[in-house]
Amino acid sequence: MTEQRVTAAPAATATALEGDTLLAQAVSGARFLAKSQPLGVIGLFIVVVLCAVALFAPWLAHYGPKITAFDTYQPPSAAHWFGTDHLGRDIFSRVVWGARLSLYVGLASVGVGVTLGWVWGLVSGYFGGWFDSVSQRLVDILMGFPPIILALALMAVLGQSVNNVVLALIVLLMPTAARTMRAAVLSIREMTYVESAQAVGCSHWRVIFVHLAPNTLGTYIVLVTVNIAYAIVVEAALSFLGLGSPPDEPSWGGMLTAATESLERAPWIAFFPGLAISLVVFGMNLLGDALRDLTDAKLRGTTGAE
Amino acid sequence: MLIYSARRLLLFFPSLLGVTIIIFGLVRMVPGDIAEILAFDAGTERGAVVDENIRRIRAELGLDKPITIQYLGWIKDGLSGNFGFSYWEKRPVAEIIRERFPRSLELAALTLVIAVVWAVPLGVISAVRQNTWADYLVRVLSISGLSLPLFLTGILILYVLVRFFAWLPPLDFRDFTDQPLENLQQLIWPALAQAIYISAPITRLTRSQMLDVIREDYVRTARAKGLSERIVVYRHAFRNALLPVVTFIGWWGGRLLGGIVIMEIIFGVPGMGTSLIAAVSHRDYPTVQAMVLLMALVFLLLNLFIDLLYGLLDPRIRYA
Repeated sequence: MTEQRVTAAPAATATALEGDTLLAQAVSGARFLAKSQPLGVIGLFIVVVLCAVALFAPWLAHYGPKITAFDTYQPPSAAHWFGTDHLGRDIFSRVVWGARLSLYVGLASVGVGVTLGWVWGLVSGYFGGWFDSVSQRLVDILMGFPPIILALALMAVLGQSVNNVVLALIVLLMPTAARTMRAAVLSIREMTYVESAQAVGCSHWRVIFVHLAPNTLGTYIVLVTVNIAYAIVVEAALSFLGLGSPPDEPSWGGMLTAATESLERAPWIAFFPGLAISLVVFGMNLLGDALRDLTDAKLRGTTGAE
Repeated sequence: MLIYSARRLLLFFPSLLGVTIIIFGLVRMVPGDIAEILAFDAGTERGAVVDENIRRIRAELGLDKPITIQYLGWIKDGLSGNFGFSYWEKRPVAEIIRERFPRSLELAALTLVIAVVWAVPLGVISAVRQNTWADYLVRVLSISGLSLPLFLTGILILYVLVRFFAWLPPLDFRDFTDQPLENLQQLIWPALAQAIYISAPITRLTRSQMLDVIREDYVRTARAKGLSERIVVYRHAFRNALLPVVTFIGWWGGRLLGGIVIMEIIFGVPGMGTSLIAAVSHRDYPTVQAMVLLMALVFLLLNLFIDLLYGLLDPRIRYA
């Protein structure tokens, strides 16, 4: 896998290495990406914009996300670009702050959930035996719930808060990540370099984290990108149902709950947060597809169309 | 086949047992005393009456017994169809489920039918005409379909209905057995919204499966024999491509349960989902427990069924 990723760098990058400036490398890398994965670049652009908006929310938003100082149900205008909602909050400001909340939920839950699942899958797949059997049954059990239903049940117990949504998502993400990583480990466990590492006397943990883990990095990266979009959607769905983030938090999903009551009178309340969610998910899907094509050796050299 | 089925069944029961333990344990993990929460949610003031109430609720829930006895009692009651008493709706949970489960099931079935009717043919067309405008159109549509979260599709359809057709979700729901036509009019929109959402991955999978199969030797042989393109595509390629698609659709059938909750809320369908949401927000734990268990059971049974079907249809699986 490692070797493949190195050779994945195209000839253009190789010449850039001789030129030796970081900028030249970046430019040629970007040129390669734009040529081989145009849709992925669009996805990357959307994701970068999302990160920027989340990072600079305090400067971009005109008002705080929870300020209710304005007339209710104002249509979009120069003062309120996206209008105001049923409580007189500035929707533009809430959509901007919502980027921060979405990104936080996505990164925190996937960062913890997929990483724990990664380690779980590595250990389970490498050792096999009773530990593997028991942990796979546990995965079976957690995957025995319809995902949204499990999240709802967890929220019923934990109570409404942004961090509890993150916790519920971690429980949701961990088993699937563990199963995917285990499958990846099973196929590379029998490779000769693993055998030789064992032969020269590496400890089990050294084999797992120095030899196996780096070779599953491609799968890990794909899991992360795909699941960030998933986590953002689940957070929005839970908040939309009134059981995720508390109503005053600027969650895009939560903003839609109130909007359904006044769809006819004030469609803009639903339109902008809805647009934000679909753009972000669209961008992340494109990026995830592109990354999968880049890391999957079988697809390399094709357009990814098949 | 018998050994395969037995082995698969052996996996089913531990999962079911684990699911019940998790559901039971989750509710016991609620911070604070459930009996107290329930008593105060009933809206009474603290005092002698409340203390009496708390004791009564505790006895009703069996909280004064050891935890293993509680668990076994819950399982025993569940097996005999007694799911406890809903504190929010003030009636037995079994009654709520009997009333609402068929509605949710109908919505799920309707969704799957609509989705399959257009998603599978689109996938086939897209594969047979690979890299033509039809293929590109289908692919762009399915990528966009994937990017629209389910509740957004629902809200969008509701908006179009409200804005342009002056249609509002009716306040009183009609069951299929009473007035089939009115019932279908009500359920068709949430079913459509969800069908749009799940047809995207079905189309993509059908397409990729067809593309795989079309390159197989036996399809080339069929062509070489001089069979017409129609027979090659439908009798030789399509049938072999269908297997993973069938299991995938079944897998989606299970995941629909979550989506149905959202659709019922948006379109005001009084099914399992609306009850579950109300129960969660009112901390009506007996109802939450029973409904989550029922949905997990349906999900597990469906997965079992798919695996058995897979083994039946594809002999290679049995001996793997």
